[in-house]
Amino acid sequence: MKSAKRFLAALMAVSALGILTSGCGGNAEAPASQAAPVSSQAESSQPASSEAPSSEAPKAEALTGGGSKIIYIITPSHSNPFFKTEAEAADAKAKELGYETKVVSHDDDPTKQSELFETAISDKAAAIICDNAGADATVAAVQKARDNNIPTFLIDREINESGIAISQIVANNYQGAKGAAEIFVEAMGEAGEYAELLGKESDTNAGVRSSAFHEVIDQYTDMKCVATQTANWEQTEAYSKMETILQSNPNIKGVVCGNDTMAMGASAAIKAAGLKDIAIIGVDGSDDVRDEIKAGTITATALQQAALISEMAVEQADKYLKEGSTGLDEKQLVDCIIITKENADKLSAFRYSE
Amino acid sequence: MKFNKNALMMTLLKSRTFIVLIILVVFFSFASPTFLTSKSLLLIAKHVALYGILGIGMTYVIITGGIDLSVGAVVGLSGMIAGGLINEGLQMFGYTLYFSVPMIALITIICGAAVGVVNGFLITRFNVAPFIATLGMMYVARGFAMLRSNGATFSNIVGKEALGNTGFELFGRDIWGIPVGAIILAVIAVGASVVLKKTPFGWHVFSIGGNERAAKLSGVKVNQVKLMVYLFSGACSAIVGIITASQLVASHPASGESWEMNAIAAAVLGGTSMAGGIGTIGGTIVGAFVIGVINDGMVMCGVSEFWQMVIKGLVIVLAVIIDQFQRNLQAKMALQARSKDAVVH
Repeated sequence: MKSAKRFLAALMAVSALGILTSGCGGNAEAPASQAAPVSSQAESSQPASSEAPSSEAPKAEALTGGGSKIIYIITPSHSNPFFKTEAEAADAKAKELGYETKVVSHDDDPTKQSELFETAISDKAAAIICDNAGADATVAAVQKARDNNIPTFLIDREINESGIAISQIVANNYQGAKGAAEIFVEAMGEAGEYAELLGKESDTNAGVRSSAFHEVIDQYTDMKCVATQTANWEQTEAYSKMETILQSNPNIKGVVCGNDTMAMGASAAIKAAGLKDIAIIGVDGSDDVRDEIKAGTITATALQQAALISEMAVEQADKYLKEGSTGLDEKQLVDCIIITKENADKLSAFRYSE
Repeated sequence: MKFNKNALMMTLLKSRTFIVLIILVVFFSFASPTFLTSKSLLLIAKHVALYGILGIGMTYVIITGGIDLSVGAVVGLSGMIAGGLINEGLQMFGYTLYFSVPMIALITIICGAAVGVVNGFLITRFNVAPFIATLGMMYVARGFAMLRSNGATFSNIVGKEALGNTGFELFGRDIWGIPVGAIILAVIAVGASVVLKKTPFGWHVFSIGGNERAAKLSGVKVNQVKLMVYLFSGACSAIVGIITASQLVASHPASGESWEMNAIAAAVLGGTSMAGGIGTIGGTIVGAFVIGVINDGMVMCGVSEFWQMVIKGLVIVLAVIIDQFQRNLQAKMALQARSKDAVVH
């Protein structure tokens, strides 16, 4: 009885202590532990993506496809309009070039993606177009397709291995985020406090975009980042985190967001707080953000040309199947287009028309 | 003497969540200068309202010995229903009907309650375990939310003057400086608490969780009560769906994902027993505030989200451990009291 009570008292003390110490310990350590992966990601992935290795020496023999005229288009969930556009553009292009298509989603689950690759193999697919579910987790699946004579064309995200996929066509996140950051600095008048909403910290793109933002903004010593929080690419989370940040930092004059969904959430929070003239930037180029840019509540975004990238991938697949080579480097970067009030009209469904 | 000590311990144990809440508030007041201001506290109340309301429905369900995993998905679905009715109206027989905002809120709540009724039917008529039935409905509701717009977001859901459906964004705003969400939370909390404590329906909810067979034998309409409880949980979720969509002035089909976990955590932190039969609405609200203070306080201090997850997890587990101690102590005190009686007689 007595020992139980003593244990209980100790437990309560420890729990209270635990809350307190982990609270302040985390406070001190978090910035360091947060910064480390971000910078290492930037260093490792940046040179890799900007200086694409010179053309792969043609492999002994080209892959000829599984035998059918089916192209598999594998993307993340279509609940995100970006991926929906990606899949639809690839689908339309492939049909135009005379292929049958199967459009499926891996929901960002590497296991499901691997199963879809196996289905494609047993379906004797001619080629696979894939926006993959993980830079490392996808390598084995692409290799399996290659072993079964099926060429894979990766879009939007790279994998950590070259020489397995035929093409890896990605948007230049770094250039895009830098371009948006330049507009942001201008809108802030090169001075003032701002906050940053990060994407999912386990996602490479979150780190690349953040370091690109900072490369530009940190040159201006009068610009001060007073709060950094992750909102996991989500609108609801960005909304509530932004409200809280505004509460503890009332002098904020700008917000940089890792993607457009979070920019929408931040914008809603700023409107709800009755604030005006706050610079907000995002990355993606969604139609929702375009409308806010037109209305003047969001400053700029970087359009990743999803439709264009998908079409390039399908065209290259077609060429490769016919001629045995795409004639291009495996890694290709497609520049982002910076969308501001001036050119917002030209953007629709992740497609920029001159 | 010993008895008194035990009694003191009991009081401390019973108010443990409240004590943790006070410790947290004191800690964050020192850690962040802007934490202890009326504006911050109102903001926390606004954020707490979301899982607080879900937690109230969840508390009823858990007291009957069940669980409702579908609440997060119903939040997403009801947001989509409300957003769709405002932006696109209801297409029927070649006509498009537009409703006023109060009607839309009512329709949405009825739809949420309908999901709850399906849950209740699966559990009472077909004897499906609550965990499984609501897990299934979680996927169904989420799927329908996605299907409603083919996965797209309804943005800018403010309605049109000409159609008479403006004003939806009011649910996400403030009245006299107080967030509407927090007001709704307070109203539902008071109502739910009174019903649970003072009405026969509330006693039936407890009796089912305490001993379902005994409740049935003593004439409680078990199935009917359970159905009502899941209906209430569904309606609560729909209300949260309306508030979230209104705050963002947009509804996204994936919103509310994994919010059922926050609702369960709030209930458990508040002393609701997962075994059923024990729980209070007041406790759940305090539990929801503990989660809210941890979330917002850490954001104000600039702590990484990963730490928030670790700490939230630890607090929940500790709460349950202490719960077990309380139960043991209670049993011992009862035993002591009885043996004392025996000596006297």
